[in-house]
Amino acid sequence: MEKKRVADDHEVEPAVPVRVDRFGFVKQEQNSAEGLCRSRSASEYEREERRIRKWRKMIGVGGSDWKHYIRRKPHVVKRRIRKGIPDCLRGLVWQLISGSRDLLLMNPGVYEQLVIYETSASELDIIRDISRTFPSHVFFRQRHGPGQRSLYNVLKAYSVFDRDVGYVQGMGFIAGLLLLYMSEEDAFWLLVALLKGAVHAPMEGLYLAGLPLVQQYLYQFDHLVKEHLPKLGEHFAQEMINPSMYASQWFITVFSYSFPFHLAIRIWDVFLYEGVRIVFKVGLALLKYCHDDLVLFHCCQTEVVSVSYNFVVLSLEPAHGSYALDLGLAYS
Amino acid sequence: MASTGLSSSNSSSSSYDLSFKILLIGDSGVGKSSLLVTFISNSVEDLSPTIGVDFKIKLLTVGGKKLKLTIWDTAGQERFRTLTSSYYRGAQGIVLVYDVTRRETFTDLSDIWAKEVELYSTNQDCVKMLVGNKVDKESERVVSKEEGMTLAEELGSLFLECSARTRENVEQCFEELALKIMEVPSLLEEGSAVGKRNILKQKQVHHTSGGGCCS
Repeated sequence: MEKKRVADDHEVEPAVPVRVDRFGFVKQEQNSAEGLCRSRSASEYEREERRIRKWRKMIGVGGSDWKHYIRRKPHVVKRRIRKGIPDCLRGLVWQLISGSRDLLLMNPGVYEQLVIYETSASELDIIRDISRTFPSHVFFRQRHGPGQRSLYNVLKAYSVFDRDVGYVQGMGFIAGLLLLYMSEEDAFWLLVALLKGAVHAPMEGLYLAGLPLVQQYLYQFDHLVKEHLPKLGEHFAQEMINPSMYASQWFITVFSYSFPFHLAIRIWDVFLYEGVRIVFKVGLALLKYCHDDLVLFHCCQTEVVSVSYNFVVLSLEPAHGSYALDLGLAYS
Repeated sequence: MASTGLSSSNSSSSSYDLSFKILLIGDSGVGKSSLLVTFISNSVEDLSPTIGVDFKIKLLTVGGKKLKLTIWDTAGQERFRTLTSSYYRGAQGIVLVYDVTRRETFTDLSDIWAKEVELYSTNQDCVKMLVGNKVDKESERVVSKEEGMTLAEELGSLFLECSARTRENVEQCFEELALKIMEVPSLLEEGSAVGKRNILKQKQVHHTSGGGCCS
């Protein structure tokens, strides 16, 4: 219930209480899906408490022991991250593993400068998309509310910080996801860490003119499909289906755009620690998960895409009760 | 959360006579995805920006023919053109959308989008439809209907004003486009080739008991 503050501080319509899931998304329907509104048993609660204690010990006060721990026991860290970072520590840990904390400390006052004094050519584009980013989350729902203002500030600041990238649709979902776990300034520096490559390969090529890195990743993904799922690869080739039809948003938003939120944040835990290879792995795991259904469908071109695309989405929809996508499988 | 291709999933096994590929283009935020979602389902909701491409399939009967429309929805932001340009290929119909409350979205159609069509469309006879969206915001309108009609004439395209919000003219938009496509012999032929293939597959599925349609 760590995200409760979001729900409490910014009630949108005080008269009509909004029902939200534990991440702050407005509930659409009554049926309970795993991880959304399930109440926890006492033993699960204790287990979670133990996990949090372990994590606290590992990172130390405000992250003071983190670097030391990671140097001594990198495998323990990797294993624990794959199991999922406790939600109440997620924001802090994300900043530690992405290297954004260091950037923040090295650049005092820079963010404020970018937000207050600079103007950006992308301002109108950003404004137009603000209300279209996570519109079902309580933090972002309110027009000109604190959520929308923070999102605007982060995106505008980035578009000034790196004018070659500016603002590209899709960045809003990444910034939005980050803002649910940290302050504006922290979210901004994490965005910088990712795009400029503080720890892993820089991501800015996903957004630069011509989207060179998207093209590269799609090309590589195509080959990986052929290599690891040869039957499906051949099928896709026959039906003229290429990854740009289904995977560009996986890379551009790192699954923050149309993926069930509780899975997206687990992917982000691992992505921030292990890098973009995780996006490839999850993508391949998704195709593998739907493999038999995908190969079954022939018929004309677009039908297969629709089917492939829909299966990927369908199999992850809570309404279909199939949360079987095993993240363990994805990372192995 | 964001839009998906979900609503088309039930259509894969139904039969149809003709199959056409339609493309939606225009500036970001003019309502391309909204038009499409309104046409496909009955819901009118606020949508996330489209990243790259998305598509939906709609089966409908026009002029006594059962049609399958595969409608490709594209991201409007300039940066994505590198991804969307390949989807013009083979489209029988292209819908050019602008927002009647934002003039630049209208001028961009002739300055940018019509040129993209010239450059990337492979179908000489491809039917174009100019659509002015958001006519429900009448008080904010800055592009008149007459201006729309004039541009449509210049582009040699059909023309309609719509509102995805009130559903006004949304179905007409796609139906008129489909009717017009069926009037063009070369496009009709392309569409029926796929249709025939579909019927063939259906028969195969019937004959092989229980095994699906592939070998």
